[in-house]
Amino acid sequence: MRKAKSLHPSASPSERSVANSLEAEAGSAPTRRLFLKRMGLGAVLIGLFGHVLAWVRSLFPNVLYEEPRRIKIGRPEDFAEGGTFLEERRLFVFRERNTFYAISATCTHLGCTVKMIHLPQPKRVQIGGRVREERYEFHCPCHGSKYYGDGTNYAGPAPRPLVWYKLEVAPEDGQLVVNLDEIVGQDFRLTV
Amino acid sequence: MDRQRDAMWIYSLGAVLFLLMGGAYWREWRPEWKLYQAEFRQLVAQRFGPDRAARVPEGIQQIWVPSLGRVDRCVTCHLGIEWKGLENAPHPYRAHPPEILQKHPIARFGCTICHGGQGYATDVRSAHATRIEHWEEPLLGTELGKTYLLSDRKALLQINCNICHRYDRETAGAELINYAKQLVREKGCRACHRINGRGGVIGPDLTYVGDKSPEQYDYSRIGGVKSVFAWHIAHFKNPKAMVAETVMPNFNFGSREAQALAMLVMSWKRTTLPVEYLPGEPWADRPTPEEVEREQRMLTGEGAFFVKKGCFVCHEVSSLGIESAAKIGPDLANAYVDVQSRFGKTLEDFLRSPTGTMAVVLATQIPLTEEEKREAIEKLKLAYQRKLEREASPK
Amino acid sequence: MATGRTLWERIFWSWRPESSREAGDAIVRNFLLHWFPAKVLRESLSFRYSLWLGTIAAVLFVLLTGTGVILMFLYVPSVERAYASVKDIEYVVSFGWFVRSLHRIAAHAMVAVVFLHMMRVFLTGAYKNGVAADQNRPLNWIIGILLLLATLLLSFTGYLLPWDQLAYWAITVGTSIATAAPWIGDDIRFVLLGGHEIAQNALLRFYVLHCFVLPTAVLLLFSWHMWRVRKDGGLACADRLAREHRREWTTPIRSKTYSLLGIARGRTVHVEVAAIHEEEQMVPASPVLVRRLFLVALGTIVATSLLALMIRAPLEEPANPSVTPNPAKAPWYFLWLQELVALTTVRIGTYTLNGAFVGGVLIPGLLILWSAIWPYLDRSSTASVGVWFPTERRRQNLVFLLIVAGILVLIVTGTLRGPYWEFYWPWEPWPEIPRRF
Repeated sequence: MRKAKSLHPSASPSERSVANSLEAEAGSAPTRRLFLKRMGLGAVLIGLFGHVLAWVRSLFPNVLYEEPRRIKIGRPEDFAEGGTFLEERRLFVFRERNTFYAISATCTHLGCTVKMIHLPQPKRVQIGGRVREERYEFHCPCHGSKYYGDGTNYAGPAPRPLVWYKLEVAPEDGQLVVNLDEIVGQDFRLTV
Repeated sequence: MDRQRDAMWIYSLGAVLFLLMGGAYWREWRPEWKLYQAEFRQLVAQRFGPDRAARVPEGIQQIWVPSLGRVDRCVTCHLGIEWKGLENAPHPYRAHPPEILQKHPIARFGCTICHGGQGYATDVRSAHATRIEHWEEPLLGTELGKTYLLSDRKALLQINCNICHRYDRETAGAELINYAKQLVREKGCRACHRINGRGGVIGPDLTYVGDKSPEQYDYSRIGGVKSVFAWHIAHFKNPKAMVAETVMPNFNFGSREAQALAMLVMSWKRTTLPVEYLPGEPWADRPTPEEVEREQRMLTGEGAFFVKKGCFVCHEVSSLGIESAAKIGPDLANAYVDVQSRFGKTLEDFLRSPTGTMAVVLATQIPLTEEEKREAIEKLKLAYQRKLEREASPK
Repeated sequence: MATGRTLWERIFWSWRPESSREAGDAIVRNFLLHWFPAKVLRESLSFRYSLWLGTIAAVLFVLLTGTGVILMFLYVPSVERAYASVKDIEYVVSFGWFVRSLHRIAAHAMVAVVFLHMMRVFLTGAYKNGVAADQNRPLNWIIGILLLLATLLLSFTGYLLPWDQLAYWAITVGTSIATAAPWIGDDIRFVLLGGHEIAQNALLRFYVLHCFVLPTAVLLLFSWHMWRVRKDGGLACADRLAREHRREWTTPIRSKTYSLLGIARGRTVHVEVAAIHEEEQMVPASPVLVRRLFLVALGTIVATSLLALMIRAPLEEPANPSVTPNPAKAPWYFLWLQELVALTTVRIGTYTLNGAFVGGVLIPGLLILWSAIWPYLDRSSTASVGVWFPTERRRQNLVFLLIVAGILVLIVTGTLRGPYWEFYWPWEPWPEIPRRF
């Protein structure tokens, strides 16, 4: 319990007496008064803090006037085997029987849309220690960047492989949904 | 004294502020739509299992259609719109009839352009906007339909169809509007009124009559609801009863006719439609009937393969009757033997490792599977054969 | 000083100074507190004297600035997007409805409180110079009038921003009245609107005026206003107190000088405060004034929050220049002018009295002018300074109250006007407004 404050010299006699009685009471029922005082002060602080918090919270938007980040792209059964290019979405969707994956068509150099090149003959390539046979590749028409069929960059100025986006199934109608907010690795497959 | 009193005041005011802020937070954190979303999640969990329920989105959902300048938040509560399997769920979770959504996808149209209502709102009363203050576009649904005693309670919706489909003679799904348009043609309204830009000048110009302010009508002779819609119905039933000095004849319209015409008239508003929303054929270069007929013919002949795969865009195949508009590449009738002299390899080798322009075309535009390559070789052989036959028998 | 201090005491030592010297030090060494004098007359802190109306107005201004800045992040001042952005604030922004409601309540409250403050100052004769030397309270009164005008303009410019029917037509009425000013009326309207119509230019100008120009003007004028209060020796009740305690009175005596540290001498700001000799009438500004200020601020926030929770800010249909709402009304603080304009538009034979000029320009112009110069025309003595309803100033106060009552009656009458400016008693229902469906 803190020492009672000394009154300033110009305190009136009545103030002194109240202070004295406060001191006297302090010994007998300190907790109740202090408790109420603390509750009161707490209420003030919480009330004011609540105000400021509400104001700041209003600056975090709940809705965005932007293109949605999760986009429906069609029913799985409507996709042909192999690769489909979705032009407006700048996306390649690949189907192998009932597994699906999606690769972005945006070149990682300066953002042009890459083209899918069908190879006349299957090509053997080694990516990170593993050998694959690929029938198609991606070439960028702007500055000559080249990517293997899994998006790995191997020629030209492209600094990184093509991005793989997560594919999901929409709960309402079973359509494929590409989630542009989630980037996945090259081993991602969605099984429908 | 002062100090004590001031302190007491501060603490009491603090307590009051605490309660008030509690009230503000309560109102903010328990909005109506959260209850609807929770209920929906339960419904999905019951019918489809918990993990589909877990994927139901949380928070305010909105459909923003910038070309129409609208933002619709109906889907915050109406979560079941596109769910297969909720066709018989209770409102607001019922699925939307899917056929019309094929032609009017939600992402391109939103909801309120057809259904009316206040898209900005996130509570039921403001969103449905049936007779609330300061929003004149109510939900054109069964509640209003009941008020106006329409035989088909949901028919008011057709008013908004006509905002885009105004110049259609008939619109599938808008029976009352079609009926009203038929009446306009049969009863000769254009004799006295300008409608859609042409007509007479005896009566007022009705081209944009749907925009007329409610205060410009005289309601002194209407009983019941004082609304523009009610005025029009009463006026169609008996013009002289509403406008004493009118010369408009009484057509003895029944309720159905008057309601249909009133709906049609309310839909005649000034709207700016972006071009991609105009009904009918899409705005694009259209082939002439001759071009269409020619392509049909080529598709049924022996050279159909070259049309289907798109070879004919650059190459003609004269011996099979395939014509090309561009004729950028050589006549493929000779290809079977020509390839050797041009490229130094057989046709099969050329298709397997093409050079020049064909390398680019076969890599990007016209990828051929192994089977298709075999078919191409077959057809080219046939083309050469037909060419020889033609040369052999000159006529 | 005391060595056994807690951490709290060491940080906030200026809150509870332990001696007179420390009290003076606290004021000078604390940035937030240096605004105040080291000691304050206890009488000035009385609720009954001033009702703390000036402080309430200032707190409301701070509240408006805070909520206003938040709203500036959420609102878009473009005619295509303004309305939709306000709808978004109401529906999808967390606590957006609350911030907007607070802002509106505080705005209306500030207009009312500033006016009440002016009334209090008049009724207590606090615009008059008292017994000290070099006072200039009449100047401060004029600064106050300028602050009142700035407040009214702040509210008026803010009114347009939602771009709904209420906003658009209220500003139509307001700017039309402005055209009645002789010779320059049309030009005033043209510059204010940035054109002939109320369109994008008008919205942007009103926005800049509302968010920057007028608040800056208020801040500058307010600073000057407070500075003048200090130079004039505090609230006018100090003069009353000085008179009550003086037994004989000849010429004003320089009894105290102010400089940066309050201890220098020489020809600088000086104030006669006879009560400086009576220590028991002074209290240290910190903590007494600070605590009471906090109390008043808290009370203002509580009252504003309560009203904001109970009354939602309105938003009518989107602004439509081709549909005039019936009736179209100015905001309540200008409603008396609109009523005057309607009343003074009189036809006598072939002559039509231009109500817009009389009611919109002449009468308010005269009222402002008269109130501005009244302190210089007032001939009552210093005995009436800082006194509520002194006998000497009875007639002035009566006339003042009658004018205010007249304004209030006109405002109430304007509120009770319905479609076509017909008068409806509060119990008479307005005719049903027709709708589309």
